[in-house]
Amino acid sequence: MPKVEVRLWDVERIAETPLSLEELVRTLETLKSDLEEVRGDTIVYEASHDRPDMFSAEGLGRAVGVYKGSRKPVKYVVENPTTYLDVSEAPEYRPYAYLAIVENLELDEEAVRQIFQLQEKLHTTYCGDREFVSIGLYDLDKVKPPIRYVEVENASYRPLGYDNVMSLDEILRKTEKGLKYAHLVRHHHYPLLVDSEDQVLSFPPILNAEDNKVTEETRRVVIDVTGTEPNLMMKVLNIVTTSVSERSRNPFIRKVSIKGSSLYPYSPVLEESIVEVKRDYVTSLLGIDPIQVKGPHLLESMGYEILSLSDDRVVVKVPPYRIDVLSHVDVIEDLAISYGYNELVGGVTPPPHFGRVNPLERFAEYLREVMLGLGLQEVLNFMLTDPDVLSLVSEEEFIRVRNPKMKTYSAVRNSLVPTILMSVKTNSSKRRKLEIFEVGDVVRLGEDKQPTYMKKLAYGLAGDDYTLTDGLVVLKSLMNILGINYKLRKTSRRLLISGRATEILVGGESVGIVGEVSPEILISLDILVPTTIAELDVAKLFSALSL
Amino acid sequence: MLESLVLPPRQFKIVKYLCEAGIGVDISELSGFLGVKESDLMRDLIELESKQLIKLEKTVKYLIRLSKLGLKYLELGLPEERVLKYLMSGDEKVSLKELASIGLDEDEIKASLGHLRKYGLVKLEGASVILVKKELSAFLEEVSRVKELLRTHAEPILYDSVPEWAATLKRRKLVEVDDVKLIKVYPTQNLLKLMSEGKVVEGVLITNLTSEALVSGAWKKAIFKEFDVGVEVPARTPRLRHHYTLFVRYIKEILVEMGFEEVRGPYVESCLWNFDALFVPQYHPSRKETDVYYVDNASVEVKEVDVLERTKKIHEGVWKYGWREDVARMTVLRTHTTPVSLRTIYERGAGEYRVFSFDRVFRPDTPDPTHLMEFHQLEGIIVGKKVTFRELLGFFKELAKRLGMEEVRFKPAYFPFTEPSVEGFVKHPKLGWIEVFPGGMFRPEVLASVALPPEYKVAAWGIGIDRLAMIVLGFDDIRNLYSCDLDIIESTKIPEVILRNA
Repeated sequence: MPKVEVRLWDVERIAETPLSLEELVRTLETLKSDLEEVRGDTIVYEASHDRPDMFSAEGLGRAVGVYKGSRKPVKYVVENPTTYLDVSEAPEYRPYAYLAIVENLELDEEAVRQIFQLQEKLHTTYCGDREFVSIGLYDLDKVKPPIRYVEVENASYRPLGYDNVMSLDEILRKTEKGLKYAHLVRHHHYPLLVDSEDQVLSFPPILNAEDNKVTEETRRVVIDVTGTEPNLMMKVLNIVTTSVSERSRNPFIRKVSIKGSSLYPYSPVLEESIVEVKRDYVTSLLGIDPIQVKGPHLLESMGYEILSLSDDRVVVKVPPYRIDVLSHVDVIEDLAISYGYNELVGGVTPPPHFGRVNPLERFAEYLREVMLGLGLQEVLNFMLTDPDVLSLVSEEEFIRVRNPKMKTYSAVRNSLVPTILMSVKTNSSKRRKLEIFEVGDVVRLGEDKQPTYMKKLAYGLAGDDYTLTDGLVVLKSLMNILGINYKLRKTSRRLLISGRATEILVGGESVGIVGEVSPEILISLDILVPTTIAELDVAKLFSALSL
Repeated sequence: MLESLVLPPRQFKIVKYLCEAGIGVDISELSGFLGVKESDLMRDLIELESKQLIKLEKTVKYLIRLSKLGLKYLELGLPEERVLKYLMSGDEKVSLKELASIGLDEDEIKASLGHLRKYGLVKLEGASVILVKKELSAFLEEVSRVKELLRTHAEPILYDSVPEWAATLKRRKLVEVDDVKLIKVYPTQNLLKLMSEGKVVEGVLITNLTSEALVSGAWKKAIFKEFDVGVEVPARTPRLRHHYTLFVRYIKEILVEMGFEEVRGPYVESCLWNFDALFVPQYHPSRKETDVYYVDNASVEVKEVDVLERTKKIHEGVWKYGWREDVARMTVLRTHTTPVSLRTIYERGAGEYRVFSFDRVFRPDTPDPTHLMEFHQLEGIIVGKKVTFRELLGFFKELAKRLGMEEVRFKPAYFPFTEPSVEGFVKHPKLGWIEVFPGGMFRPEVLASVALPPEYKVAAWGIGIDRLAMIVLGFDDIRNLYSCDLDIIESTKIPEVILRNA
């Protein structure tokens, strides 16, 4: 969740009201934002992912003003296009681009800072770190429309923050952003935004140009979004356009038409969406109808314009920056927030049926109790474990994660034997004798690459005096208590000493193994005590109960 | 009917002695007989008295013995006697100074003259003493009476009461009178009867009851050596449930009591169930490699083609982006248990039910005191036609109460698959408000992906339960929850909140 830094005085001037800190904290809650830090006039809050309009002071000030009633919800008037964006030569792999123009701006240092913060926070969240959408802003008085979005083999310009002109290849090699985002462009099929005089605005999604950047003197901006997801791009463009227009007393937003194939004939598309909410649905979702209890102003304070209100329905206009509002349930949530969650708490209706624990889980509980009764101590381990240990113990395949953070936890255990052995290792220096068990799940990987899930019971007896006999004693005692008849059959496993490895058979089917762990494996794992180990399949034991 | 009365050896000796004596015996006598100090006998005597075998008679007597001065006069004679003798042996008039020469101090001379004057035998003239010739017999009689008393009390004598003369001698500091508390022990009729019937038995002192003693009946004569419970005993090394599985059982009990059925689901999931069907767009940051363990060497077969198709339509229709089936078919370790809830709705469909799952989930992380790459989630859904957000909040409040936390507060939150969404906080006495209950009402888009009829609603919640486990079990380090270290397991106490609830 993005952390946003604003100045209280800046938020106040946008909200058009003085604000106390308490007031701000309370309002932040209704906007799903949490106050993180206050440093003098600086306020840091964590904005919710679904409210990108909160990623800068403009959106926050607007929402706070509307909530408090010091501001009316904004009506965005969009002027018809006087220029166009040509996308007919756009790169195939990033084919979309849209523009918006905002005029009549009054910027200062803080305003510029906020606009760039918004751009950055959007990039890291909605824009998929520029993969789906890349945003840019330019001083319109320094460029000559119409603007073209083209694919080029190479070009040169002075990138933002650099003194000298570089080629696109150089930018990818030499600049920080170039190195970071080079994977998003194809070699010598570079996307480029240029004006009618071939002046470069931007090499999206890498770096804008220094020469037409937005400064405190900028009065008119052109905003671009380029990328792969046109609808997402349009939403992002709406957020940036409406936020930037907060920096004007009399904002003037101008559409730009699109030349070439495009999902939208022009941009931005700032028409408010209209959502109809059935009031009986409100009651059935929330348990009450907040409009009936407290009145329709609950919606207005959240920025909605009520178009009509009747006993059975309410129709609202959703402001274009509320890109999180997809349907009536989103409006209903705002209604509930405005009403106050803490006033909504109701009672619990009696359950429609009895509660029940999963039968195998319940059986596993009894197995644990029996093992404790036999004098073994329960241990617990992660399912994620070291692939080297798994490979050492068995030749069977297991699941590996593609993107581990640590090798030690990069495979999913396919048996409890490795985790019992690792538990022996953890404890053997502290205890002369160890008698431990674990009940837990493992994931097997079949030849068809399909995972299967098994619950296992494993135990380990570690110390100088333990042999297979001790392992068999525990097994016999367990099986006696469970009333399961079993047979033993010699087996051979890499894990176990030859001649000291047995398979446990119930009704002719193998349900597990008992044996003494081979010295090679003990030494490889740095376990310096003899260890007898057993592993049983819990589900097979469970079904054997009825045999 | 009392078969026999077993007494510890010493007590037996006491009653036997008393019965043989047949009369009251002083404690000092018993003490001498047994060779035990009187003070050490008291406990036995009190016990015997409580059994109504003996009666204790406590009396006070007075011991009169000579003081140092008394002993001295016994040897040298009384000073008044000596003064008189001196006067009679020479001049009838002697100076006080001269009298000192016979070995008496000033006080003794003064006292002697006082006695002599009382009998009119001397008179004082200035600093001289003059003998008056007079009948001596009364004086001599008194002197010999005092001397006789001194003689007879050369050895101390006990009196039932203090004699009158003792006060005079005490005033003269010739004797000392001490109170002596005496205990006399009498056998009761009961004892005499039992003894005569042979029903009083001498017991055998033992430390351990043996089965042999039980079988042979020797226990009947057994007197158990008393234990000193002040002595420290060693503790056993327990065989315990691992604290985490104990915690799981505790939580499951609560949910079962609240009418929830346990369900389980796969650890390895397709993105379809982990994300797409839950209305998480494919460009959502929670799907990034930094937040999800992707698996290449396994592939979960997506058998639910209907879910896949509906999900595609929903993403394309609502989110409006290039939804990709191959992305939805990617295999991951589940990042939450919400897919388990969604699968349950898919399988059970319409109906009124409550299910929960308490299971492991995985997210890339490096373990440290507050982070793990594998942890548990407690997930649940309430499905029904009349299920509301209001009830979900009420459920959280009830669950918190059952977990021992009364105060609950709610804040708006965001989860891609619920609307409205909520984050519930509980107040912990030490840690303050802590975030524990994320939940909400499943979005219509989510329910549409598994084709739940629209008249049904689902309240869903998924708690990162390890935070609560740490609080309940009293751990500061989350890694301890999953520890196989016996030192940690054996030293973890069963928390009061679990004991009370279980």
